[in-house]
Amino acid sequence: MRWFTFFCILFCISLFQSTVMHWLIFRSAVPDLYFPLVVFYSFLADAKRNTIANWFTGLSKDLFSEGSFGINSVFFVAVGFLIWSFREILFRGHVVTQVLITFIFSIIYNALYAIHVSISFHSLRLSTTVWVILTCSLYTAMIVPVLFWIFNKIQPTQKLFFNQG
Amino acid sequence: MRTSTPSFSNLIKNPLTTTVTLLATSLLLLFLPLKFSNRIKMTCVAPIRPLQWATCFCSNSASNFFDKIISSWQTTQGKKDLEHQVLQFKNKLIEQQDTIYKLENRLRTLLKFQAENNIIKKSPIPADIIGYDASSFRKNVIINVGAKHGIKPDNIVISDNALVGKVISVSGSNSVVQLITDPASRIPGRVVQTREQVILEGDGTVFCKLKYVPRWAKLNKGDDIVTSDIGGFYPVSLPVATVVENKTKSGALFQSVKVLPRVNISKMESVLVIQN
Repeated sequence: MRWFTFFCILFCISLFQSTVMHWLIFRSAVPDLYFPLVVFYSFLADAKRNTIANWFTGLSKDLFSEGSFGINSVFFVAVGFLIWSFREILFRGHVVTQVLITFIFSIIYNALYAIHVSISFHSLRLSTTVWVILTCSLYTAMIVPVLFWIFNKIQPTQKLFFNQG
Repeated sequence: MRTSTPSFSNLIKNPLTTTVTLLATSLLLLFLPLKFSNRIKMTCVAPIRPLQWATCFCSNSASNFFDKIISSWQTTQGKKDLEHQVLQFKNKLIEQQDTIYKLENRLRTLLKFQAENNIIKKSPIPADIIGYDASSFRKNVIINVGAKHGIKPDNIVISDNALVGKVISVSGSNSVVQLITDPASRIPGRVVQTREQVILEGDGTVFCKLKYVPRWAKLNKGDDIVTSDIGGFYPVSLPVATVVENKTKSGALFQSVKVLPRVNISKMESVLVIQN
């Protein structure tokens, strides 16, 4: 894992998430480019590097979004650690695993974030929030094959993905 | 007897120590005062703003280009312009309706309405949107004017003669605008047709909701909401939203009202900041 590559990816993701992604909006749902990066590094890196990478990813998201500074870094570290802890039982190289894991954990992350927003402002409606969580997670999971392909090209992970024995 | 003390670099090599250190840092950041954390954010992101502006400009240009191609295919360019004009006139009309109502009231009570209504048109500053909030649940935008241009926190932001939000944090040449659809946004409003006092609240989607609308209030689809003078924060009579749905559940104290902002926020490219 090369840290320079990681920060380059993170920079590009932050730039795209805060500008271009807005044009892909579908009924209030926007794909989250940060989350596939969390899943990718949880699949790829060891515990320490995974934690650091996820913390920086969360911090970057915090910088580019309004609200409590540091909340995304906590959530990303927690979710990343959860994925890392049982990654050995997964076939990480398969696209279906990548999409499914991203979808499931994106739901968990979005639900946690929605609870945080709801506690802070008391203004989210349950039905619309559930809808946003599902569409956001689905949207994020849909772009995973493309993003993982790009991440693989930039940060080769073939050994880690296929030598799981 | 020699005892070796663990160095920081050795400690950080331990995954558990790393996790605890990072989480402690995050928690420390979480408990920072809002003003201070906003300043950190604005300072850290400031060098990236020009790139953000460039990316946004390119994506807007590309989007406009494709829009124009599609429009020329469907020969709806004229229609689009007309729709835009109609929207502006409709908003103006609502504002005028409310003004007339207030003028009639004030004339009766011998108050000077005109002076109060002139406040809202004070020195608007045009601004372009250069970035959006990275979170799906928050609705904020970044604009390319800041303290250098005279922008201050709590300045009002409008577009197409309708309210879209307020400035919440300012750096040298950029500001963050909290949109009316953000879950943290609360706006005192009034229903033009029924004169009911309401609170307009964002819910993180393209819609907003009205809080504390009594059961007996007769709201209809298409009713207009304007800013009210309660609180004195927002200029009065600015169009904000239109009622799209209202339900009254049995046993509920208030109606559940869904409203749509007057401005299509997702397609907004530029705004006006009013220094109030």
